[in-house]
Amino acid sequence: MSFLKASAGVAPAAVPPPAPVRPGFAARTWRTVRSSRPAAIGLAIVAVHVVVALLAPLLTPYHPTTGDASHALLGPSADHWAGTDQYGRDVLTRVLYGGRYALGVSVTATVLTIALGAVLGCAAALRGGWLDDLLMRVLDAVLSLPAILVLLVIVTALGTGSSVIVLAIAVVCVPQVVRVVRGAALAVVPQDYVTAARARGESTWAILRREVLPNITDVVCVEFAMRASWVVLLISSLSFLGFGADPPTPDWGLMVSENRTAITVVPMASLAPIIALATMVVGLNLAADGLSKAWGVDRIREGA
Amino acid sequence: MTSLPAPIVSVDELSVAYRSGGREVPVVHEVSLAVSPGRTLALVGESGSGKSTVAATLLGHLRHGSRITGGRVAVDGRDVFALSARELRRLRGGTVAMVAQNAGHALTPSMRIGRQIAEAGGEVPVTELLEQVRLPRPRELARRYPHELSGGQQQRVAIAMAIAARPKVLVLDEPTTGLDVITQRGVLDLIGALREELGLAAVLVSHDLGVVAHMADEVCVMHAGRVVEAAPTRRLFTAPAAPYTRRLLSSVPRVTDAGLALVGEDGTREIRPRAEVPADAAEAVSVRHVTIDYGTASRAVDGVSFSVRRGEVLALVGESGSGKSTIAWALAGLRVPSGGRMRAVAGGLRGGAAGGSAGGSAGAVAGGSSDGSSGGASGGPSADLSGAASDRSAGLSPGGSAGAWSGASSGGRSGAPSGASPGGDGDLGVPARRRPLALRRTVQLVFQNADTSLNPRRSVGDAVRRPLRFFGTAGSRGEAASRARQLIADVRLDPDFADRLPAQLSGGQRQRIGIARALAGEPEVLIADEITTGLDVSVQAEVLRLLDDLRRERELACLFISHDLAVVRGIADRVVVLRHGVVVEEGPTDVVFADPGHPYTRELMAAALEPEPGVGAERAAVAVEGWEDAAGPGGVWVELGGGHRVRRWRSADG
Repeated sequence: MSFLKASAGVAPAAVPPPAPVRPGFAARTWRTVRSSRPAAIGLAIVAVHVVVALLAPLLTPYHPTTGDASHALLGPSADHWAGTDQYGRDVLTRVLYGGRYALGVSVTATVLTIALGAVLGCAAALRGGWLDDLLMRVLDAVLSLPAILVLLVIVTALGTGSSVIVLAIAVVCVPQVVRVVRGAALAVVPQDYVTAARARGESTWAILRREVLPNITDVVCVEFAMRASWVVLLISSLSFLGFGADPPTPDWGLMVSENRTAITVVPMASLAPIIALATMVVGLNLAADGLSKAWGVDRIREGA
Repeated sequence: MTSLPAPIVSVDELSVAYRSGGREVPVVHEVSLAVSPGRTLALVGESGSGKSTVAATLLGHLRHGSRITGGRVAVDGRDVFALSARELRRLRGGTVAMVAQNAGHALTPSMRIGRQIAEAGGEVPVTELLEQVRLPRPRELARRYPHELSGGQQQRVAIAMAIAARPKVLVLDEPTTGLDVITQRGVLDLIGALREELGLAAVLVSHDLGVVAHMADEVCVMHAGRVVEAAPTRRLFTAPAAPYTRRLLSSVPRVTDAGLALVGEDGTREIRPRAEVPADAAEAVSVRHVTIDYGTASRAVDGVSFSVRRGEVLALVGESGSGKSTIAWALAGLRVPSGGRMRAVAGGLRGGAAGGSAGGSAGAVAGGSSDGSSGGASGGPSADLSGAASDRSAGLSPGGSAGAWSGASSGGRSGAPSGASPGGDGDLGVPARRRPLALRRTVQLVFQNADTSLNPRRSVGDAVRRPLRFFGTAGSRGEAASRARQLIADVRLDPDFADRLPAQLSGGQRQRIGIARALAGEPEVLIADEITTGLDVSVQAEVLRLLDDLRRERELACLFISHDLAVVRGIADRVVVLRHGVVVEEGPTDVVFADPGHPYTRELMAAALEPEPGVGAERAAVAVEGWEDAAGPGGVWVELGGGHRVRRWRSADG
């Protein structure tokens, strides 16, 4: 949306003093975030998670995968704030490092899912006809399969690398995104400005990018919010089942799985990753909800 | 007024305001009016004048967030806003009924007509109601669904629902806006007759002064929430007192105007004569025997031929469903004709506008200098047009693979098509995507609905810049930006509007941006598809004036599509009358209007309502009652001379 700024600087000399420039994209986003408490809280939570994941080595003296067998299954203490697990590894350290895997894989998977879903959904709405029919029938078929089952099949067949998991998540989630985005785009496609672009003979991609996508930003953002938290949970479930991150990778789902047998002895070993997971999902939801308003709905209101 | 019975509707000093950002914004300010049984009061004003708000208060309805800040509304002796919810429900429908603007939206799509009317409550049988609103075969119609009915029929059903419970007051909110003239006339006649039969008092909300002159006994002119003038209809239209009323009345185009009316601040009208189209003006677009089908079953356009010359405005006139918009879409490349030929004949670009045009894929540069004329081998079907194209031509022709015309020399040599490459001779019979860029640019469309023709998320400057960049008429980003500002200034708007979003513009301003966007391609043919429909009369006058200025300045060939004959009379040089996809009459505007040859044209003229009480009624007598098409192998046209011709017809009686 840099066009807003670009256009401000080229006023011919003859024109009377320019009207006050409308707040730019960043300023508008910032204002909405400030005015919306949930968005601010959500963004703060996500930011804390990101910072913690990045700075994990500086925050803790321990190593996430090497343990001290003599200090196994300890309760919370001054040395180990969240105690240790059965191999004597510091739980807090593993939780801090665990955000890296969770954030990295889920964000990649979500971005891929949303990008694919948005493009496919818009294209189906825009082109219509046999392309639409074919695409929707194929996606319906995928939709009818339970997500975790498809994930397990793919991971079993192709291995448990993070790229495989990202792809598998995309396969499972794209159909739902396509359905939602297509529905939103169908309302935009008959508008005259899309017709005008067609009459200019613009390519499908240009119409998609310039005319359709900007008008369904809010829908895409909300989709991102929902999918992101869902994907985090899905990946953790996969790890919990033993098909995600390989031990001894620090991962929240894997940690819950490893430590649940000892939950009566060291409850924090299971609870800490659960709390981390929960806060991240809630934070993602709040943040994306708020942002979708900043980019989407509110801009129209400003105009009215 | 003292001789009249006591008013059934009385509004005293009514003020309505809504809260916005902690402030009270008044929308209606101390409005008073009264309607007696059997009388019709019209509320007239431009959008935002508060007329619909006042009308809705008669049903005890206020828009969300609004409240009454003063005054009182009484219907049938009771204060509407003091009623309980139960009494209010009985009032609505029972005492006061409303007919909304868009009947198609007011009817439930999944419910049969009969059930819907029965649900409106009332003792009168459904078939009787349908007969009362003059719908044919009521028994069969009651079993149909709303989408199976035409717009006029839907409106009649809405009226049937409104009168089902035999109300005493009928509130009509723009009852015929969006209907074409003939349907409108029918619905208005019906309302008039029902008013007599049932002794209804009616409150008519309309921005159409023709409708008001035809229907109302008294008129309240509203402006910015206040009543500017209230008077009996005849007095108001013959001797308007308030300057605003005078201006409003003057802005309305008349069927008798020989050109566009320019309205002064004090409401004086001055008719600007139409621009003379030179007799040898080059043909810009030619349409020959074009047929367009929807699917395999229905033919929307059947064998239509016409041509538009440079600097000329050709009007396509007809009721809805006559195929006029279909032709526009086909010319714009959005629909492929199933038969016939449509060609664009590219002329030289205008000197002033062509400055700095890079030409995109346009390959052929005729001559080389601005005066250079390359004779070029005359080839192609348009060779017979010896039009001396613009003598100001800059010598840069938007050729591409389209048949490139050389710019005619300033000495007046005839332009001739040069280098018509095989397969691409300006053929408009293919969809936009398959047309060469230069040809796409030549034909530009302005849309009817300014609300949906601009992308709400892009600044209006961006909307204008896009075609500039896309068609390559502006080379760099900076140039596109400054050209966009220039174009916005060309449509008489402040160039600083470039940074605004469409939602921050009024309807008329948006329509101007729509025109600026079309001009960005430096077109030679501009298709204006009902561009003034839905605009207030004063805004409509401004947009028409702009269009007229532009075609003079840029020698645009303009295809003006409208169902409003008064508008057409003011702006068009020639008229083509369409009926069910067939041309029934064509000729110079003045000639056709002075002496319409075809009964359908006469019917259209008779249905046009003028802001002068009683005028339309006289013309209605001229219309021929029954007729049938008589075009056959023996001849299709009756030539009346001077380009005026009428499709053969004969009276049905013999």
